[in-house]
Amino acid sequence: MKVIAFGDVMDGGTSVFTSVAKIDGHKLLLTFSGIIRIDNPYTHLQPYVDELNTLLPGLGVGETNIDFTKLKFCNSNGFYVIMDITEAVYRHTLGEVVVHRLAEDDWQQETLPILIDVDDAGVAERTRFVDCAEL
Amino acid sequence: MNGSVDEESGLPDEAELARTDIEMSFRVRPLGNVVGDLSGILGAHATELVGAFYPRRVSNKVNVVLTELVNNVLQNFVDRESDIQVTLRLDAERLVLRVSNAATPAQYDKVRGIVERIQATPDPRTLLRDTIRERRKSRLRGGLGLLRLVVENKFQLGVSYDQSVLTVESRIALGGLA
Repeated sequence: MKVIAFGDVMDGGTSVFTSVAKIDGHKLLLTFSGIIRIDNPYTHLQPYVDELNTLLPGLGVGETNIDFTKLKFCNSNGFYVIMDITEAVYRHTLGEVVVHRLAEDDWQQETLPILIDVDDAGVAERTRFVDCAEL
Repeated sequence: MNGSVDEESGLPDEAELARTDIEMSFRVRPLGNVVGDLSGILGAHATELVGAFYPRRVSNKVNVVLTELVNNVLQNFVDRESDIQVTLRLDAERLVLRVSNAATPAQYDKVRGIVERIQATPDPRTLLRDTIRERRKSRLRGGLGLLRLVVENKFQLGVSYDQSVLTVESRIALGGLA
């Protein structure tokens, strides 16, 4: 498995949010961890979004696993960057996208599907949610 | 519903803990001095306190509502010398958070308009979805917090204005959560 891109948000010298994109053959694994609560996450994450849009089209991804279970909090200022990241995945990959989320997290149950845009038939067709218990 | 003491440990069980009354309030002034992540500090503090008694789903709601309402104030205050007042009340039946700050009549009208629009819509989820899509085009900051509280966290919102102080109240019944 190879890390192809990495984005993080630093606060006070510490990384408070991390997203990592890894590739294993034709499978993409995207993870989110930590918290997004800063005013403008793009100041930290725009290069990561750009990198995903540049790299993913050439990788021939046919299967994707997105893991939100370690994302503890996302304020509404973080919504668009989550949309940009997931949109890059759907736009530049093929095949099923399995989304792991916490069963008892209201944001992941109610708002995340809107940000991924599962109301779009093409996105819905490719998406399978897996609800997980928090460890 | 009263809980009981766990026979083995001698400690209150979860049901007993989740009928704990909590009330906390804080005031910060002047708002112009707030340069750090005030909503993060308050949210983390309140989440830890509430999480000592209530399930994570309840403490998460406290974190979200505190963050969104305090951020609304920090992003929109007009008087650098004014204050923000926050009161949280939580018991087995309900969670109520009130956030107040000095505001202009125009700001009050704007917030009241948003709240009334949310209350009037038959489908808040569709309103949230369409609002996110619309505001994303211009990457507009703000404008999603109150909607998020209703759609995602099932809060009921109220807004009032008295002597130039705007108060937003978020309220939720905890039946089934605690």
